[in-house]
Amino acid sequence: MATHTAKSPAASQLDVQAIRAQFPILAEKVHDRPLVFLDSAASAQKPNAVIDSMANTMRHQYANIHRGLHWMSERTTEAYEGVRDLVAGFLNAPSREEIVFTRNSTEAINLVAHSFGALLRPGQAVLISQMEHHANLVPWQMLRDRAGIELRIAPITDDGDLDMEAYKAFLADGKVGLVAITHMSNVLGTITPASQIAEVAHAAGALVLFDGSQAVVHHKTDVQALDADFYTFTGHKLYGPTGIGVLWARRALLEQMPPFLGGGDMISTVTFERSTWANIPHKFEAGTPAIVETMGLGAAIEWVSQVGFDAIAAHEAALTAHALQRLATVPGLKIVGNPRMRGGVVSFTMEDVHPHDIATLLDRNGIAIRAGHHCAEPLMRRLGLSATARASFGIYTQKEEIDVLADTLVRIRDFFV
Amino acid sequence: MNSSTAERDALYDRLIVERARKPLHAGRLDAPDVQGEGRNPLCGDKTHLDIALNGHHIQDIRHQTRGCAICSAAADLMAERLRGETVTQALQVADRFKALLVEPSSSAVVEKSHQVPLGALEVFAPLRSHKARIRCAELPWVALEEAFSHVDG
Repeated sequence: MATHTAKSPAASQLDVQAIRAQFPILAEKVHDRPLVFLDSAASAQKPNAVIDSMANTMRHQYANIHRGLHWMSERTTEAYEGVRDLVAGFLNAPSREEIVFTRNSTEAINLVAHSFGALLRPGQAVLISQMEHHANLVPWQMLRDRAGIELRIAPITDDGDLDMEAYKAFLADGKVGLVAITHMSNVLGTITPASQIAEVAHAAGALVLFDGSQAVVHHKTDVQALDADFYTFTGHKLYGPTGIGVLWARRALLEQMPPFLGGGDMISTVTFERSTWANIPHKFEAGTPAIVETMGLGAAIEWVSQVGFDAIAAHEAALTAHALQRLATVPGLKIVGNPRMRGGVVSFTMEDVHPHDIATLLDRNGIAIRAGHHCAEPLMRRLGLSATARASFGIYTQKEEIDVLADTLVRIRDFFV
Repeated sequence: MNSSTAERDALYDRLIVERARKPLHAGRLDAPDVQGEGRNPLCGDKTHLDIALNGHHIQDIRHQTRGCAICSAAADLMAERLRGETVTQALQVADRFKALLVEPSSSAVVEKSHQVPLGALEVFAPLRSHKARIRCAELPWVALEEAFSHVDG
């Protein structure tokens, strides 16, 4: 089993107790037991830094942005635009104007499907993979149905890796205009070989979008090193708030693409006859944005950067290795997928126990996991499953919590068999 | 242990676990008069019902269920409870069962069909405090309603 590249353990030790102390919710009890939160891949908990930043914005520094001629609006605009700089640094984007704020990753992908999709011609194709979240499938189906764009689906191997040979074959006829693929699967934990995917796509004349919703949480992201053309992520999985996501795209693409939503803030001049568009990124940010949530995202990025991705990646790699080892000892348990590179996500099934029963019985013991199709129904069908249970790990997860999970799963199995 | 914890602990009654593991009314009928299907898109669970009628009476009823323990046991205990009933009585049991899954005080249906006994189906009462799982127990009843949608009571 391979995991992230990690520096020497000594250099990247993470003080989990000190981290946990910064997440007030982790002191809560569920059904009279300490909360064991193993559902960060669905949405992560929030540190004080994020909570305080949002509360302080509303308490001390809040007004609408980009329009006020007063002091409070100017300060809020500066802080809001400061987060754009932080995000650019976080992704190593070449310029801040390439950062577009959206509501979440889903909206970012819809923006690309709508606005970049308008530049595609009938007969061209979009290529995705079998392991996409519905967020990176449904917008392309909608584009296909309204614009005559072909939608191609690259298969995965039984281990849960992208089938690179088949992927290349799908690009061979030169019709693919865009490849849109997850950077890390929310079901299998697979970290996809993004730079290789991009290289092959570019060689075939296609651009490439990565859905980074899961990936950005676990390792340092560098859109230039990946040679990506579009990259999306969401704030709430990165220990930030809900309601704020990001699209990064190359400047030339954003300049060519028509706007997504119309309204205030995205215009240059407006008459009753016609309007002209603002410069990027504002062309894509219609209406008053999620100001408070953007501040929260900024705080999350600063906080995560302070902990450091070397430490985070090493911590999560150790947890994942421990989980794979412990779960393998639970009778009747089968781990779904065996990808070459895996982030902190482990899906599993148990003989004779349905994932929903697993989730309910774990919950009785204070353990929160996800069960179901994980917004990836076609992937479930490919795997021949209707649902799985999924444990996911974050910056605050302790090894002991994985032991509690494994021990409780043994008891659940005994109960049913 | 407080009362809500006790109620949760009672969710997986032994009867539910046993019927999920070894259903007594699973399978298909050779010549069903009506059929129905319930699907839960959230989890992929599925129940198929075959029903043989003798006049207005349910002569035989079989289910084929792919689902969690709650869903599988609900289908099996439903089939057991409804065999021999008329279509009208079966639909009354359905109303009564749905009422059981919500708080008793919040439903007028309870009063109306109070006289219809649920029998072993009472084991699902603790689902009231598991809102996310209520759909699991309702799925076989969705199939039942579909099966009877073209039958005059």
